[in-house]
Parts: sequence; structure tokens; C-alpha cells
Amino acid sequence: MNLTMAADFALSMGLMEIDRADGRKPNQLRPLSCSHNFLNRAHGSARWSHGDTTVIAAVYGPKSGKKTNENPKKASVEVVWKPNTGHIGRDEKEYEIVVKRTLESICLLTVNPSTTISVILQVVDDDGGLLPCAINAACAALVDAGIPLKHLAVSICCGLTESGFVVLDPTKSEEQSLQAFTYLVFPNSFRSVLPGSPLSVEIGPFENGIITSTTHGVMSVENYLFCIERGRSASAALSEFLRKSLTKRNESNS
Amino acid sequence: MSSKSSSTTTMITTYSPSPTVKNRQPIIKDVDWARPDKRGFHQCRPAYLNTGTVNAASGSAYVEFGSTKVIVSVFGPRESKKASMYSDIGRLNCNVSYTTFATNFRGQGTENKEISSMLHKALEGAIILESFPKTTVDVLLWCWNPVAVSFLLCDLPVVISCASLALADAGIMMYDLVTSVSVSCLGSNLIIDPITEEETYQDGSLMITFMPSRHEVTQLTLTGEWSTPRIHEAMQLCMDACCKLGEIMRSCLKDAAASSES
Amino acid sequence: MGSTDGIQADIASEIEVDAFRRLFPLRFYERHLSESVRPDARPLNKARDTSVALGAISSADGSALVKIGHTTMLAAIKVEVMTPSLDSPDEGCIVGFDVFSSGMINLKELSLISGKAAWMLYLDVYCLDADGALFDAALLAAVAALSHLRIPVVSVNDDGRVVAMSGEHVEGKSVREPINREKRKLTFSCIPFSLTCILHQKYILADPTAEEELIMETLVTVVLDLSGRLVSLYKLGGNLAYNSTVQDCVALTRRRVKELHQILNEAVSDMEVD
Repeated sequence: MNLTMAADFALSMGLMEIDRADGRKPNQLRPLSCSHNFLNRAHGSARWSHGDTTVIAAVYGPKSGKKTNENPKKASVEVVWKPNTGHIGRDEKEYEIVVKRTLESICLLTVNPSTTISVILQVVDDDGGLLPCAINAACAALVDAGIPLKHLAVSICCGLTESGFVVLDPTKSEEQSLQAFTYLVFPNSFRSVLPGSPLSVEIGPFENGIITSTTHGVMSVENYLFCIERGRSASAALSEFLRKSLTKRNESNS
Repeated sequence: MSSKSSSTTTMITTYSPSPTVKNRQPIIKDVDWARPDKRGFHQCRPAYLNTGTVNAASGSAYVEFGSTKVIVSVFGPRESKKASMYSDIGRLNCNVSYTTFATNFRGQGTENKEISSMLHKALEGAIILESFPKTTVDVLLWCWNPVAVSFLLCDLPVVISCASLALADAGIMMYDLVTSVSVSCLGSNLIIDPITEEETYQDGSLMITFMPSRHEVTQLTLTGEWSTPRIHEAMQLCMDACCKLGEIMRSCLKDAAASSES
Repeated sequence: MGSTDGIQADIASEIEVDAFRRLFPLRFYERHLSESVRPDARPLNKARDTSVALGAISSADGSALVKIGHTTMLAAIKVEVMTPSLDSPDEGCIVGFDVFSSGMINLKELSLISGKAAWMLYLDVYCLDADGALFDAALLAAVAALSHLRIPVVSVNDDGRVVAMSGEHVEGKSVREPINREKRKLTFSCIPFSLTCILHQKYILADPTAEEELIMETLVTVVLDLSGRLVSLYKLGGNLAYNSTVQDCVALTRRRVKELHQILNEAVSDMEVD
């Protein structure tokens, strides 16, 4: 049992507490909120907030492809990142690529070949965990636009404090004092309409896989795996929230 | 895998520390004057040529002339970009870039635009553009190591010769290989294949790009004050060197072809 | 699906290998993978031949040319003097590669005069030939260029500007004292190395070529330092990665880090002999 696991055990038994500025427990996420379809012109839109971090996503498409060099057998995804202030820089360019690749892996791209799906992400407020918030917003907006998806995805930020604790969904001020943090994207758990056992692949249950991982800062491999573990358990709550908000939207539409 | 933005740091002004006292080399009119790299007046820099260095390109070449190193990749013929107008003949697109460490001052100058267009003009006449209608051939060129101050025109002959070698390697149809050599006029001397240091002190320069087998000139650049007999002398010198360079390039291509067959 | 597979298999028996490779690249690879070998005759977990040449560029203060298979990267560093920012008067900075912000280099080493002058390193990496695993080659080139870096000897002139000491000054004619006689090489607290792997079905392919990257899309890049800590684990989309796969990739990277460290050490010691 390494230090982090020991510390975590102590935490879970209520023997220790670490202080977070906003009084949350290490495993506690910030309040989530999600609203759909509030932009008229876009084919699908969503506004997603983790506490004070808010991102608006708009989806246009599938529309006829415009870029050359694209795969004629597949649709392509285009992501445009709009920062709340200033110009788009190197970090934002990287965010665009991360979101693009993540969305490409959850969309059924072969349904509408040689078309383009445009995703515009407008940052409203950044208080840490911006990229996970944007991915969640984009995913909700894709559903809103009726883009065929393989499954949903939820994203979360896991941080590792200097003292070796794992905290979930850190705020910006927390992020700066962390030793390392990682942005993870997990697939949403399946609810198959087919009778029988839930889908599982050779190595383990479907929802145990990681779609995307980016890290910042240096940590031990054990701690990284531990972050994945904690992120995964929290992703269930996120999935549940996403699923509920989507059901609510469908009910209100009908 | 970026983490923190470096935008704040780029605002800081920097400078390269250079010696305060510059020991200026006197302009020498003496015949005994030796060139900085100990060459004879009519002796070119040692050249190393190689083709097929870039795996991803359809043709490529790497050359070293003294300390100047140039790598060229040729892509295509491929579909013309954008909705460009229909054309019966192919297009040639040249792009010369200098690495940021090629000059003493970090950062790209504006010379690369000028050199790109000169390269385009020099090659255009030699390529059979009719052989690839509606498509584009891209010539991308990286130049590094010219220990130069600001104006990098002295590498243009190297750039042109290397580009034509890469075009030949890519199998683009050409009337002939294009070779290029320049001559500087320093006082009463004509020196061939000048390096940057010599170019700073020159009174005039002449550069030709030449097709050796056809004995045709595709481009001629002349700067400074020249008398007609001097021009004639310089032209003869350049053409002679071009023919010899052409032979070297030809044998380089033959060797490459032979080794790929075996 | 089954019937098309059958047709493909029929065609496969008739057409030549090269045509098969172009028409059905994925099936071509899968057939190799099931035999635990790759078309370039490598085992699945083996990286391509790697070479490091230091000092390729004479006009830069530190440079390296790295080849991993056909992938060729050229890295060069130029140093300039800057005025450090007010919040960190003892630190220099590095522009170009963000992995180094993870504390590989102590920026305090780049300080010349506290609050007045510090070194700014400009690190440029050029890709001369792209044949897969670009990040690995770029990181190796950057690390190699940093270990080749020799900071010029400088002194302060009467105007308070930092100037380089040219040859004759060092011989003793100068009245000025060099301010950085000792600190000409950087010391590294940790050196990062990376390995990119392709995940395809149950297979893990180390150090992919461009062709492999195009056909099988799930890439994982693991960056570890010499002490085995995780600097970065980078995966964008594609197939799902499970814990066991992640651990396998890390194990492969651990082995590769040792290999690369040895290659780099050999290059550095070769240079010092010259």
C-alpha cells in the first residue's frame, strides 16, 4: 500500500480531513448544471458548468464537407475554441485538437461520410477544469444536435496535492498549488436496449477504459493509476447527471 | 503537451551578447590575398550531394557547400490547392525557409520571400510544366548554417542547384538539370563561389543559373559596376563551373539510381 | 461483414503482396500482428534504430540531430540575454518546449545577475523527415540539444550591458572579469524520455511508423523521467485504454528510457573525446 492509498484509506475512515478552500470533500465535485437548446441558429447547443467554470457549446452539421484531403469514407469533426478574453494561443490550439480527437472517437463517423460536424466552444468563465467542462458541453451539444454517437463520454479533472492526496475537480486556485493534475475522459456506462448482460470487452467492463488522458506535472505511475481509479468512480455520478439532464430535455420537448 | 502559457515570456526583450569591438577585415586589393577559407580565387567550395534523404517526400536532396547546408523536399505533382483556376500546364510552388538559428539574430527575415521567388524564376524555365496539367509541384526548402549577418543571397546558387537535384530525384520532367554559380568582383579580382564574409566586401556580383547540356541560361543576376569584358570573363568562369557542377549532379543521380536498382 | 471478409480473402490469395498492402492495409497489418511481427521485420514491442548526433549546427549554442528510423529531427538552441521578470528575479527561461516546465532544468541556473540579466534559451525543433513517432524524436532531440548546450562566456561592459568575451579577451588582456566562468553547462534534475505506442485490439506496437499511425489510430505517448516518474501520459481519443494496457505501455517505456539514456550518454561522451 503506497502513501497515497494509505492516506486515502485514512480519509475514507474519517480519520483525516484535508482542507479545500471551498469546504468540499476531496471526492466531491462542484455543483453541475447543464441546459440545452438555447441557441436558435445552431443545430444543437449546450451550456455546461462545473461550479464557476462555464462553457457554451454549439454544434452545426452534419453539413457538406469543405476541406480537401478529408477521408471520403468518414465524416470529419471540426472544433473551434473561443476564449473568453484575448486571442487564441498555443494552449487553445491544443485544446481544440484534444476535443476534436475525443469527439471523433465517440461519433459514428461512417453514417454521414464526407460531411463536416462543426463544434464551437465558447468559454464563459474559467475557474479550473476548463477542458473537461468543454468536453462535457460538446458531448451534450452533440446529443442535442442529434449526431449519431457510439456512446456518451464524460470528462473530469483529477489533481494530486503536494502531500499526495487525490482531489477531484479542482478550482483554478487549487490547480496552481497542485503537484500534478490529469484530465481524463471516460465512456458513459451503457444501457443496452437489448436483453442480456451488459456489454463487456475482453479486458474488463466497457466503462473502465479511458478515451483521453492528458497530464500536467510529474507524478509516480501508481499515483496516476490511482487518479484514474478515483476519476472513474466519480465519472459514474457525472454520467448519471448527463443522462438525467438529457432525459429531462426530451420530456420537455415532447 | 503544453501546460502553462508562455505568452508572458515572449514580451521580454532580449539580445544576443556580441563582442563590442569588431575587428574589421581590411578590403584587400593585393593579389596575394588569401581567401578566408584558403581557397584559390577560381576554386569552388567542397560540395557534398545526396538524394533521397527525406522518406516522406516524392523526391529530395541534401547538399553541403562548405558550411551551407540545404535540404529540399519535392512533393507532387499533386492536386492544386484551393479553387485555383483551371490551367493546361502545371504549377510550381517554391518555398524557402531559413531555420531560426541560421542567422545571428534569431527570427525569420524577409529575404526568404525574395529568394523563393528567385528560385521559382530560375526553375520555371527548365521544367516541362505541360507534363503535369492541373496539378502542383511543391518545392520546400530548409536552409541552415549560413553564418550570415543579414542578407543571405550568397546561398542562392546552392539553393537552386539543390532544388533541381531534388526535382530530378522526384522524376519531374525537365529539359535539363539547372546548375547555378556566382562570382564576386573584389577590386581587380574575380572570385568564384563567394562566402558571406567575402560578399560583404564585394564591389559587384554576378550569378547565373544554367542548363549545362543545352548551354542555356535561365536566369542572370548582376549587381554593382561591371565593364563589358569583365562580364564576359565572369560569365565564362560561371558557365565552366556550372558544367562541372552539372557533371557532379548527374553522377550523383546515376549512383542513386544504380544503388536503388541493385 | 463475414461475406466481405471472405471475398477479401479470396482476392488476397490472388493479388500481389504490395497491391494487397495498398488495398486492404488494415487486414495486411492484422495478418502480420497475428504472427507477432511487423512488415519491417520488427517484433511488436521493439523500437527502431535510434541515433543521436550532437553539434550538427555550428551557428547554434547547442544542437542535435536525432534519427529514429526514418524520422529525423533537428533541434537547436540559441541563447540570448534578457531582463528577468520582477516575480522571479533569479530565473531565466526557456521558450519552445513545454515539457521542460516540469522542472527538468533549474531556471535559477540561467541567472546571470539577480534581477538584471538572465539567459533566455530559444529552443527550435525542426522535423526534416516525418515517419511516425514525431513527439519521441522531438523530445529526444530537445534533450540532446540541451545536453550539448555550452553557454558563452560573458562579462559586463561599462554601459552595464552583458557582452560576449571574444578569443583574445579570454587570454588575459581584458580588464573585465567573466561573470559565468563555471556555469557553462546545464545540470539536469531529471531527464525525460518518451515512447509512443499504438493500441490495436489486444496488440501494443511500440514506436510506430507513419504508415502504422495512419492505419491504426489509437496512440498513447508515455513520458517518464530517469527515476521512473510519470511526466506525461498523452492519449487522444481512439479505442479505449484499460489499466492493464496503460501499465504495459509504461513498462515498455521504462525499457526504452534505459535504451535512450544509453544512446544519449554515448553521444555525449563521444563528443567530449573529440
